[in-house]
Amino acid sequence: MEVSERIQAVSKFLLESPPGEINDVLNDVRNIIADDESLQQGIAPALREYNLVQFITVDIPGSNHQSIISKIALVNKSSDREDASERFLDPRSNTTFKFDHLSLEASDPQPYEPDAASEPFRTALEASTHAYLSSHFPDGTASVFSSPDNPTVFIIQIIANKYNPSNFWSGRWRSEYKVNLELRLVQGKIGVNVHYYEQGNVQLATNHEVSLSLPPTIFQSSPTQSAAKVLALIESEEGEYQTSLTETYQDMSEKTYKTLRRALPMTRSKMDWDKVMGYKLGAELSAGKGGFS
Amino acid sequence: MSDPLDSMLDLMRRLPPTQIEENVSALVDICPDYADDLLGSVDQPLKVKTDSATGKEYLACDYNRDGDSYRSPWSNEYNPPLDDGTVPSVKLRKLEIAANEAFDTYREMYYEGGISSVYLWDLDDGGFAGVVLFKKVLTPSSQTESTGSWDSIHVFEASERGRQAHYKLTSTIMLKMINSSEKQANEDGKKTSGEIGLSGSMTRQSEHDFSVQDSTSHITNTGRIIEDMEIKMRGLLQEVYFGKTKDIVYDLRSVEDLEQTRRQRDLQKELVGFIKR
Repeated sequence: MEVSERIQAVSKFLLESPPGEINDVLNDVRNIIADDESLQQGIAPALREYNLVQFITVDIPGSNHQSIISKIALVNKSSDREDASERFLDPRSNTTFKFDHLSLEASDPQPYEPDAASEPFRTALEASTHAYLSSHFPDGTASVFSSPDNPTVFIIQIIANKYNPSNFWSGRWRSEYKVNLELRLVQGKIGVNVHYYEQGNVQLATNHEVSLSLPPTIFQSSPTQSAAKVLALIESEEGEYQTSLTETYQDMSEKTYKTLRRALPMTRSKMDWDKVMGYKLGAELSAGKGGFS
Repeated sequence: MSDPLDSMLDLMRRLPPTQIEENVSALVDICPDYADDLLGSVDQPLKVKTDSATGKEYLACDYNRDGDSYRSPWSNEYNPPLDDGTVPSVKLRKLEIAANEAFDTYREMYYEGGISSVYLWDLDDGGFAGVVLFKKVLTPSSQTESTGSWDSIHVFEASERGRQAHYKLTSTIMLKMINSSEKQANEDGKKTSGEIGLSGSMTRQSEHDFSVQDSTSHITNTGRIIEDMEIKMRGLLQEVYFGKTKDIVYDLRSVEDLEQTRRQRDLQKELVGFIKR
């Protein structure tokens, strides 16, 4: 196998890393490939893609909050590949920064001039989103972006991670909502990933897409009230989703799991192996006394 | 640097269980030198084959494989046919036939369907080893029902010392359940679609000593050991799949309003302080 093909194969492993375990996967991959130089260059696109897709959070220099690394946070979307000039936006502090996809650190913060037309509504959505976040996520981060090409479109991103390697588990909740005031539509995506790996490897992977209509009482001209209503809609949808997830758990446990294998046979007692062997076996085997070897 | 095989096994413990076949085959392509070690140490979902001699279905894994052919426990024949495929000794084959019958009864009692296969092989030190396999796949009768599959792989080694036998058992159960749903727009204009998947595997080991009267004792002994292990692991899987992973979701997001809970806690503290005064 060519080096480039090997790098491509392990890049797929990196993209499949469970929450909080990309460094463990990278460490394994490094030992398997045993060619640090080729690896370092070759996996850069995969690390970047992982960070963008998984909503990796970053400390913003000069502030005490975190911001989300994602495709929408990219300031200059000139190309699909990373280049030296690539910068991300923290809309909360109106700062752009360079981001290192391996060390996950931000550098070179620069002030950013937001779009005057959309900024009031964006700020209101941001405040409501953070209120929602502190109501339902013990440890969450959110970023709210305005759309660069449409002042009536906003993107809310929410991420919550729990990493507990000493107890062999990790989890991630990701959600994203595209709020379109003109079409009066919210399109959302929720994804949950859980990894439990004590003497095993068990994973929960969910994806959920939702499309909601905005009630007629939401106007861009009344940002504070309208933003609160948008978030009330999102809060109710995420709550319903979590409840339906619990119902599916129950259904799988009570129906699917039981149908796959019974806890005990119909007789409610364990199998009588002597009896089974008694009538299953002819004289042939029983005659050969004296152990196997 | 540690052994690459350890890193490969660590990867298998982390990457999505649903991708295990693709990922093992990718690793084999990357490191062909480790192919045998890897295929021998990573349990993969069991494949279903059909015995061309008897028409019966059987399970294929690394233990009944010779080259690209898999031996059937029913006819003892390889498929695709092999002239010089490895088969157990005549005496062990007799035991294998009886074990397949016994575990097929067990399968019907616990799985009420599915497929079982038992393969035995001679060990150099005079003992023998074997693998007991069960597989059941659920095909849902309606779209709202979940799909599911269960694969059990019980590998054991038996060594006799006089009238005693010592058994070492390693059991892996692979379990996968998927629920898909799609709801069309309601009167509020809301529509949803999604998928919930729980998948993975757990492995446990145990050792036992039992007395042996004749060769059939090995079947009743391993039967009891495997039955106990499956009962224990079924409970364990239930706890991890439906308990642990759900608790972690609730650690990420709370259905209850945390602010409200905080306010109530503060209010309570204040009242307690007030009454003390």
